Amino acid sequence: MTELQRRDNSSILEVRNLTVAYGTKIAVDNVNLEIRHGEIFGLLGPNGAGKTSILSSIEALIKPRSGQVLIEGIDIIDNSQRVKAMIGVQLQATSFQSELTIRQIVRLYAGLYGVKLTLQRINERLEETGILNEAGKPFKDLSGGQQQRLALLIAVIHNPVLLLLDEPTSGLDPQSRRQLWRRIEHIRQSGGSILLTTHSMEEAQTVCDRVAIIDHGKLLTCDTPRHLIEKHKDDIRVQKVAHGDVTLEDVFIGLTGSEIRD
Amino acid sequence: MTSYEQRMSPNSKVMFESLFKADILVLIKNRRSLVLGIILPLIILATTNGHKAQQRLGGSLLLVGLAITYGLMSTSMLGYALSIARDRDAGVFQRLRVTPAPTWMIMTSRLTIQAIANLIIALLVVIVGTSIYHLTLTLTQYAMVLAISILGGAMFLSIGQAMVGLLKSSETVNAAGRIVFAGLILLGLLGFSGVLGGTLESIATWSPVGTVMTLFSGVMNPSKWTGHDSLSLLVTFGYIACFASLGIRWFRWDTH
Repeated sequence: MTELQRRDNSSILEVRNLTVAYGTKIAVDNVNLEIRHGEIFGLLGPNGAGKTSILSSIEALIKPRSGQVLIEGIDIIDNSQRVKAMIGVQLQATSFQSELTIRQIVRLYAGLYGVKLTLQRINERLEETGILNEAGKPFKDLSGGQQQRLALLIAVIHNPVLLLLDEPTSGLDPQSRRQLWRRIEHIRQSGGSILLTTHSMEEAQTVCDRVAIIDHGKLLTCDTPRHLIEKHKDDIRVQKVAHGDVTLEDVFIGLTGSEIRD
Repeated sequence: MTSYEQRMSPNSKVMFESLFKADILVLIKNRRSLVLGIILPLIILATTNGHKAQQRLGGSLLLVGLAITYGLMSTSMLGYALSIARDRDAGVFQRLRVTPAPTWMIMTSRLTIQAIANLIIALLVVIVGTSIYHLTLTLTQYAMVLAISILGGAMFLSIGQAMVGLLKSSETVNAAGRIVFAGLILLGLLGFSGVLGGTLESIATWSPVGTVMTLFSGVMNPSKWTGHDSLSLLVTFGYIACFASLGIRWFRWDTH
């Protein structure tokens, strides 16, 4: 078996028996996940389902009550600084120092990941991202789409082995969303693996190789979008909400319920 | 070094330099608090440049100390605390925390920049103050003034840290900072003058403002260093330990 084949079959991320609690509230309840090399994995769930808590545990922003998170076999809790250098992160609400220009922000984060970028290289990266003309502006002056593109540029500035995207397309217009999907696919083709959370079923079906649906902190189901539909199309809860052919959204609502979450 | 090795172990020096440079840029672009920290002491020096005012407020050395103290207070308590609270509200810290930079490094960079700003303020005020009041300080006295500036600045930074530790939103930190700031100014100006009576004078003397002012006037006139000055030094260290513990123990990187 070649090294490439081994990497393709092996896990880049393993989440084992993860439990996250805030005081007495259990946000994530004994969740197990596995993401393979080169895979785009989607985490679906209603508001407050525990998606961001899972991501925050992987990012070492919060300490889980129990369980393990391994990236390339390295425990995030024991080696947080080392693992943080291996992953790229786009938070749900990204914000950078409002006093810094885009170029200064790129320089700062390149330095934090130990990447040396010349001015010319920074400009090239900004041009690739389509925000070179905004290089002298502060972050808050960018449009929503431009802000997301910069956030993604910062997240991949060190060529991470695993990219974590928390609702990357929320608030974007269809054009920007499609462009972001192309970028995500490009990152995968360059050897990256991606874990993203989303509320968009269209996004999950179009972009993700596999998806997991979680609710109330528990993992309900996990498979490819097509297999999830196959697996749950005869479920009475899914049948109840389906209009015609069963879709991924029908499966999602069938499994997580129709009530609105805040 | 290959790019993979770089990704595995970013250099601490490079990380700190990047943070430090960014924080300098932020301070320069956000110069309102720095300017306030310089303007306020200069106003105090200019408005008290009369024999009567100086006598009522405890003499020229104490006034220079008062001016520096207020400068340090405004940048450390208002400027520092508010910038930390706003960045926390906006999620700037969360973004920094997902990088390999350790949290102590993120804070050390900010505090170092603030300490440098405090030194610049103290140096400017003491130069202007000695010039206005026709005082002569030796090189050692200048060095001691700067040392007390670092100490006083650290105390006001610890108060600022305690505020962002105990209060969550930037609006609350802003409001509380202004109230505490105004209270300490009044306590310093009126309490020290004795016009509000002996009890308030004692409170003023042992308040954060009072201890730092005592230290400033002590090091500017070292031949008259007393036990009261030494006690003020101890109390100042006590304030730093107390407020810093509060600020570190209760500080949250994220308000959500």
